[in-house]
Amino acid sequence: MFGSNRLRFRGPAVVALALMSVGISACASGSSGGSGGSSSSAQSSQPLVIGASVSLTGDFADPGKAVKAGYELWADQINAKGGILGRKVEFKIVDDTSSPDQVVTNYQNLINQDHVDAVFGPFSSLLTVPASQVAKRYGYAFLEPAGGGPKVFAAKLDNLFFVQPAPVVKQGDVFADWILSLPSADRPTTAAYPELDDPFSAPIAENVRARFEAAGIKTVYKQVYPAETQDFSPIAAKIASANPDVIVAGTQSEDAYAMVKSLVQLKFSPKFMYMSNGANSPLEFPSKVGASNTAGITSSGDWFPGSTATGSAEFTDAYIKKYGGTADTIDNSSAEAYACGQLLEEVAKKTGKIDNATIISTLHEAGTTWPTLLGDLSWDAIGQPQGSFHLVQWQGGKLLPVFPTDVAQAAPVYPKPNWGG
Amino acid sequence: MHALVQGVILGVLTGGVYALMASGQTLIFGIMKVVNLAQGAMVIASAYLAYQLFVSFGIDPFLAIPITTVIMFGLGVGVQLLFLRPLKRDDKAELSLLVTFAVALLIEGLLSITWKTTYRSIITGYENDSWTFFGYHFTVVRVYAFALSLVALALLFLLLNRTRFGRAVRATVQNPDSAKLLGVEADRVAALGFGLGAATAAAAGSVYGLLYPFYSGSHYDLISRLLSIVVLGGLGSVGGAVIAAVIVSTSSAIVAATVSPAWSEMTFFVILILVLLFRPQGLFGTVGRGAL
Amino acid sequence: MNLWSIVRGGVFFGALAVLPFFGLAHWFLTLLVFVLMYATMSSAWNLVGGFAGYPSLGHAAFFGIGAYTMALVFQNKVLTSGYEPFLLLPVIAIIGALIGWPIGWVSMRTRADVFAIVTITFLFVVQTLAFNLHGITGGSQGIGLPIPPFLAKTFEIPFYYVFLLLLAVTMLITFGTMRSKIGLSLTAVRADEDKAMGIGVRVTGVKVLAFSVSVGITAMVGGVWAYFQTFIYPQFAIDPLLTIGIVLMTFLGGRATLWGPVLGAIILETGQQTLAYHLGGSQFYLIAYALVFLVIMLLLPRGILPTLEDKLRLRSRRQRTEAAEQQATAASATPSEDPVALPGGGRS
Repeated sequence: MFGSNRLRFRGPAVVALALMSVGISACASGSSGGSGGSSSSAQSSQPLVIGASVSLTGDFADPGKAVKAGYELWADQINAKGGILGRKVEFKIVDDTSSPDQVVTNYQNLINQDHVDAVFGPFSSLLTVPASQVAKRYGYAFLEPAGGGPKVFAAKLDNLFFVQPAPVVKQGDVFADWILSLPSADRPTTAAYPELDDPFSAPIAENVRARFEAAGIKTVYKQVYPAETQDFSPIAAKIASANPDVIVAGTQSEDAYAMVKSLVQLKFSPKFMYMSNGANSPLEFPSKVGASNTAGITSSGDWFPGSTATGSAEFTDAYIKKYGGTADTIDNSSAEAYACGQLLEEVAKKTGKIDNATIISTLHEAGTTWPTLLGDLSWDAIGQPQGSFHLVQWQGGKLLPVFPTDVAQAAPVYPKPNWGG
Repeated sequence: MHALVQGVILGVLTGGVYALMASGQTLIFGIMKVVNLAQGAMVIASAYLAYQLFVSFGIDPFLAIPITTVIMFGLGVGVQLLFLRPLKRDDKAELSLLVTFAVALLIEGLLSITWKTTYRSIITGYENDSWTFFGYHFTVVRVYAFALSLVALALLFLLLNRTRFGRAVRATVQNPDSAKLLGVEADRVAALGFGLGAATAAAAGSVYGLLYPFYSGSHYDLISRLLSIVVLGGLGSVGGAVIAAVIVSTSSAIVAATVSPAWSEMTFFVILILVLLFRPQGLFGTVGRGAL
Repeated sequence: MNLWSIVRGGVFFGALAVLPFFGLAHWFLTLLVFVLMYATMSSAWNLVGGFAGYPSLGHAAFFGIGAYTMALVFQNKVLTSGYEPFLLLPVIAIIGALIGWPIGWVSMRTRADVFAIVTITFLFVVQTLAFNLHGITGGSQGIGLPIPPFLAKTFEIPFYYVFLLLLAVTMLITFGTMRSKIGLSLTAVRADEDKAMGIGVRVTGVKVLAFSVSVGITAMVGGVWAYFQTFIYPQFAIDPLLTIGIVLMTFLGGRATLWGPVLGAIILETGQQTLAYHLGGSQFYLIAYALVFLVIMLLLPRGILPTLEDKLRLRSRRQRTEAAEQQATAASATPSEDPVALPGGGRS
């Protein structure tokens, strides 16, 4: 099926140019240039080149561009401070057209043709898996802001670091923590789980379901729907007739908006509602579903406007200065990408070196946590982050962190107000 | 039972919209023997036009249809003159598949540059309203969309059956050679016919934009459904396309409501394959000839 | 002419076979791996899409079937030498061909444009199954293969040679087909199927055979690809754009020719991969691609090789007439310009 999440366009073909460039570069690079991880740390005058392949065309184009914006913003910031260890930071960002073949080619080229000093990750777990293998083969550390699906960690790579507070599957745990912390009289007793069929949505809801079922909350509806689902009225109708206390939706973006709309049309409002993604978009969500319909809906977040984590204020100001808009228009993906840069900065500050072997061993050091604008991060041996997300909730038209209490800016509201108010 | 009936309601209402899109596509095939893979892209282009007219000038997407129809008609005629008329070879059928696919990519590229690749929705203020009859929900937008599709289809039928141009089109569909002998200018009919097919995309685009969020790549979604509808109905048969559209969207809505949304898309294709096993020419197609 | 073809093939494959010994950079080998992969698939597609004139849009389904077969067999295995998955390829070819036979038989009851639609429909059915049969395929979560235990230094070499071998086999099959009764029958089917049946060509058998062989090869390519990527997802393993790419390469190089699909793959795949890398993500990609596409279709509707050949033939005919006028003897006429052996332009 031509599902929107399932198709992307693969690049262009302007022919003569390409042939020429291949011919030239093939002649130029006579021998296999597998420069290992520890290249050129001594030449302090040379710029530090970081390569990254993101999707600038195709299905992941929009978040891809947000990642690019975050990388480049960090480079501006660090260069204004004199660079890393006196070296100016430069990014070489190339397009992978959202294709797994292209992503392999791109990291090959970055590492073996352009001999970049470090690489950062692409957008989406789907592209992170093949890309991380290439980086591993040549001893490069792989800091990646956007690929936290379960299979990313299945290859057990020691060079990979997922730069978010927790693996994707655990994104919803904070909601389960909150619900299960409520006095038992207030807790929901029945739950519905509509889940988008992709590696970063359905597993979140499934994880929450396991926790809820163990705690005695009955599952009255569960449905996995495909990415190209357009009509959510059949799903909404079934949820309404099952009449659950809580809806735990594993959503991505457009499906989240469409699902809320269908529930509004059916005039069914549950006591609690959690959506893994989509509902945590500060600008899109209220504009797509109507601001008055957002009240009480919860979601997960790592960075949020007004966060007091390390470098967050600086990031926000710089972002608005460079790209315009307000703090609310900043995409989380940009913050996550920016955090990759912050980590490099920290490693350099701590060790006085910036080569791949050092990055890998330093970030793996037991007992250390790394301050970023997403909060303090740390990883296990295969790059799974050890923290947790924040629970965010829509209150009075604003998205606020409400749980756990140490980051909360407001107390969570329940039961969820009815639609329209 | 309730879910089933609600599914049928949804399917029939949606089917009307697909019937409108598919009628244009099957018409183009009937006249030119060209499978227009750009039909979906034209629908999405119209949705963007309707979106822009609404955002910039506050024109309701339903009221924007006359404007977008004219634009899409012009676009269709242009595509035919520029890209399809030069194909004069015996393997025109194969080549036109590729050419119209390239046109679809071209439209997609232009849309991505103009409007980026973020999803757009036309938010009118009445998109969440619904009526309830006997416990069944009718979304206001869907009912309007269905009514509009009926009106547009009726106009199309009138145009084909009551005007000189329509008679020329039908003559061309039935037998291009004798139509030529009777003085029908095949080239002109082809250009105008392609324009007409594209014009149906205008109305469909407004409706699509109201019902679903869309982005420049949404046409892939559409074209696979449209293709199964026109082949099922019999290539070149407008009536067949309408009936096929209602059959497939109803059955896939029923499957979504009673079995699982994960299998609903597959019903499109399973029905198609089953029908082709027994009737390779589709439900209402005739071998070698188009019918209207 | 026969000798020429053999020399040409020998030089091409000989050169490619020794190429890795020159210590090519990894990125360049990776590029060649993808070029060979697409060249093999275009050549295979050419058997049914070019010679028989049935433009299948469903080949990506068989690519996916091959990829999933490979993944399912090896998902939890531990590899020792790393060459084990390649030994499975003949089995994958047979599986692909066996599934292809009934699919071809049903879909080839329809003609060109409807056939294209029916085959792409099959592709969506297979993709839906890959998504929905979670228990077998892992659904949208995808499925992982063991990481190839090859040294980083020579990592690409095994994949390179396997694809080179597959391409050689495919081109030999094509070569044999062009020179046999089967090729003649396919061309007859393409020219006029009813007439072909009238003169006693076993139309159904021949075209379904071509389809099965073609999709069997495509399945093998999918299997190797899955191992190279080490992880497959339904949307990438069964991707409509893969078929579109193959079709375009074949059309660009020249349908129903031996070398056309290879030429098309070399040009398009290098063009695409290098441009995406070197020019970064300009928004004008899609438009440039579409325009190249349109220009090819409108200016070179038969592809590069047949068009070039026409030009060459025209020129040599002119030279020949000039020569004949000058010398007044026909002795200098070159014998290499015999009339085309196959009506479909089955030369070069």
